[in-house]
Amino acid sequence: MSGKLLTGKILLLLVMLVTLVGGPALFGCTGGVSTVPKGWSGVAIADGTIFLGSMEGKLVAIDVSSQERRWPDVPFEAPKKTTTFGCAPASGGVAIYGSPALTEELVYIAGYHGKLYAVSSETGALRWVYPREGELEPVIGGPVVALGKVYIGSSDGKIYALDAATGDRAWEFETGGKIWSTPAVNGDTLYIGSFDKKLYALDAADGRKKWEFATEGAIAATPLVYDGMVYIGSFDRYLYALSEADGSLRWKFRAENWFWGRPLADDGVIYAASVDGWVYALNADNGDKMAEFDLGSPASSSPVLVDGSVIVASQVGRVYALDASRHEKKQLVDLEEEIYAPLAASGGVVYVHTDKDVLHAVDAGSGTVRWSLSLESE
Amino acid sequence: MVGEIWDLIILSPMINVLIVISGYLLHNFGLAIIALTIIVRFVTLPLTQKQLRATKAMQEMQPKLAELQKKHGKDKARLAQEQMRMYKESGVSPAGCMLPMLVQMPIWIALFQSIIRVLAVNPEGFLNLARHLYSSWSQVFSLVPLNSKFLWLDLAVPDRLLMLPILVGGTMWLQQKMVMPTTSADPKQQAQSRMMLWMMPIMFAFLTMQFPAGLALYWVVSNVITIVIQYYMVGGWGGLAPAGARKAAGRDKKYITHITRVEEKPVDYADVGADIGADVGADTAQKAPPSLRMFKQQAKRSKGHRPKRR
Repeated sequence: MSGKLLTGKILLLLVMLVTLVGGPALFGCTGGVSTVPKGWSGVAIADGTIFLGSMEGKLVAIDVSSQERRWPDVPFEAPKKTTTFGCAPASGGVAIYGSPALTEELVYIAGYHGKLYAVSSETGALRWVYPREGELEPVIGGPVVALGKVYIGSSDGKIYALDAATGDRAWEFETGGKIWSTPAVNGDTLYIGSFDKKLYALDAADGRKKWEFATEGAIAATPLVYDGMVYIGSFDRYLYALSEADGSLRWKFRAENWFWGRPLADDGVIYAASVDGWVYALNADNGDKMAEFDLGSPASSSPVLVDGSVIVASQVGRVYALDASRHEKKQLVDLEEEIYAPLAASGGVVYVHTDKDVLHAVDAGSGTVRWSLSLESE
Repeated sequence: MVGEIWDLIILSPMINVLIVISGYLLHNFGLAIIALTIIVRFVTLPLTQKQLRATKAMQEMQPKLAELQKKHGKDKARLAQEQMRMYKESGVSPAGCMLPMLVQMPIWIALFQSIIRVLAVNPEGFLNLARHLYSSWSQVFSLVPLNSKFLWLDLAVPDRLLMLPILVGGTMWLQQKMVMPTTSADPKQQAQSRMMLWMMPIMFAFLTMQFPAGLALYWVVSNVITIVIQYYMVGGWGGLAPAGARKAAGRDKKYITHITRVEEKPVDYADVGADIGADVGADTAQKAPPSLRMFKQQAKRSKGHRPKRR
C-alpha cells in the first residue's frame, strides 16, 4: 500500500473517530442542553427530618439540627437502555423531579424512570414499589397523599390512585396528554393539569370526572386551591382562577411567558411567579394586579410563605422576600447556583435544592445561609 | 456571548419557525422537519450547484492532475503550486465540494437542540424552550410541546426499528455513487473514492442510531433532495447507471466554459519528462479531447440542435 493511500485512510479514520466521539459532545452532551435528565427534587420536612431526592437518584433523609444522614441514602436504579450509545448512561441513577410526600410512617418518592417508591421514614427500608413489574412512562410531578391513597401522574397521560399502605392500584384516569404536574387534593376532589391543555377535577375516591376546564396551552404547573377557587397557570401565559365547584372561569391574568410553578396565596393575594422573570401579586377575587416584582431572571420554582413573607427564587440563584402591600422586594441571598426545585420552609428557614445538588438552609429573615450540604456521594 | 449570538441568529428562529410550520401542517412535527429541510435545501441550492460543478470538474481534471503528479511528484511544493494554478484557471475550488455540508452543520446542531426543546424530551430542555419563544407570536405558546410521533417514529429518540439508519446510509450511498468518478487515471484516487463511498454512509448510519429520529429524518430527506438535484443537474443516474448504458452527462453552460478553458489551454510541455512524451502534448494542444467534443454535442442537442437524419 502506498504512503499516500495509507495517510488518506488514517485521516479518514481520524475523522470518523472525531465524529463519533465529538459528535455527541457537539450536539448536546456537554454543550447546550443535555439529553440526560438531572432532576430537581424539592424538599419535604417532618419531625425535624428533611427528605428529598438527590441528583444521583437517591432518597436522602437529613436531620435538621445536625445535618447528619438519618439513614444511608436509598438508591433507585434505572433500567438498562440498549438503544443509546452516546449521551445517556446505559444504567445508573434516576432523575427525581417531584418532591417527596409524607405520612407518619412512609415517604413516597417517584423517579423519572416511571416508578413510585414507598420507603419507611424511620429506617429507609423499601415497603413497596409501583408498578411491581416494568415501569410507567417518565414521572415528573411528585406524589400527593390524601384519604388513604397516594396519587401520581405520569407522562403516559394517566393519573394513578394507589392504596397508600400497600401500593395496590385503586383507580386510574387517562387524560389526552402527558402529565408533568403534581396533583392537588382538597376535600374529596383531586385537581390535575395535563399537556392536553386541560385542568381536571376528579373525585379522589373513585377517579370520576367532576369537571374539566380547557386552556389554550399545555399545563405543567401544580394547581392551588384557595378560598373556594382553583388557580392554575398554563403555557398559554395565563393564570386562571376557576370556581372550585364547577370549574367556571372567574378571571384570568396574562404574563409574558409560561407559568411553571405553583402559585401561592396569602391574605387575599395570589403570588404567581412566571418564566418571564416577574412575580405578580394579584387580587384573589378579581385578578387585579396589586404589585409586580422583577426578578431579572426566569422563575420556575414554586414560592413559599414564611412568617408573612413570600419567598421566591429566580433560576440564576437569587432568593428574594416580597411584600405586596409595601411593593417591596428584598434580596435575601445570591446562591450563584441555578434553582429549579420548589422552595420549602420550616421554622423560619427556607430550604433550597440547587442544580449543583447542594441543599442550602437560608434564614428567611436575614438571608444568612445557615448551612449548605452537598448531596453527592463521597 | 457566542451562545447568545447563536441563540439569537440560528436557534431561536429555527425553533419558532418549526413550531409555526408544525401548526400549519396538522400539528405534525415530522412534516415540519420535512418542510424545513426543503426550505433549507432550496436556500442553499446555489451552493449545491457550485458543489456539483466543483465535483464534476475535479473528476474531469483527474487525468491532468495525474500528469502533474507524474511530472512533479518529487517536488511537492511545485506540485502544489501547479495544482493550485490548475484549480484557479478552471474556476474550481476543492473546498467548494465541502461547502454545502459545512453550511448545513450549524443547521444540524440547531435542529438537534430544537428537537430536545420542543418535544419535551426532558424537563430541563423543555423549560429552556421558554426563553426562545417569540412573545409576539402568540400561537407558539399554544402549540408547544409538539407531538413527537411520526409514522413509526418517536422523533425525540433514536429509531428502535433501525429503519432510519438504513435509509440514511442507503440514500447517502446512492447520492455518493451517482457522482463517483467511473474512471480515474489515478488508481489511488479511485481507491480513496471507493473507501469514501462506504465509510460516509456507515458513519452516518451509526450516528443515526445515537441521535433523535427527527435529526435523522432531516438527513434522509436532505439526501433524497440531493439525489433529485444531481439527477437533473449532472444528467441521469451518473455512476449508478450500468457501464454500458452510461451516456455523456448534460452539463450546464458554466461548467462547459470552465472545462473548455482548462482542456483547450495548451500545457507547457517543454519540461515534461520523457515518460509523458511529446506526442501527448501535441495531441492535446492541437485538438480538443473526445470527451469535450462529446459533451459539446450533448449541449447542442439539449438546445434543440439535433443533427438532421437522412
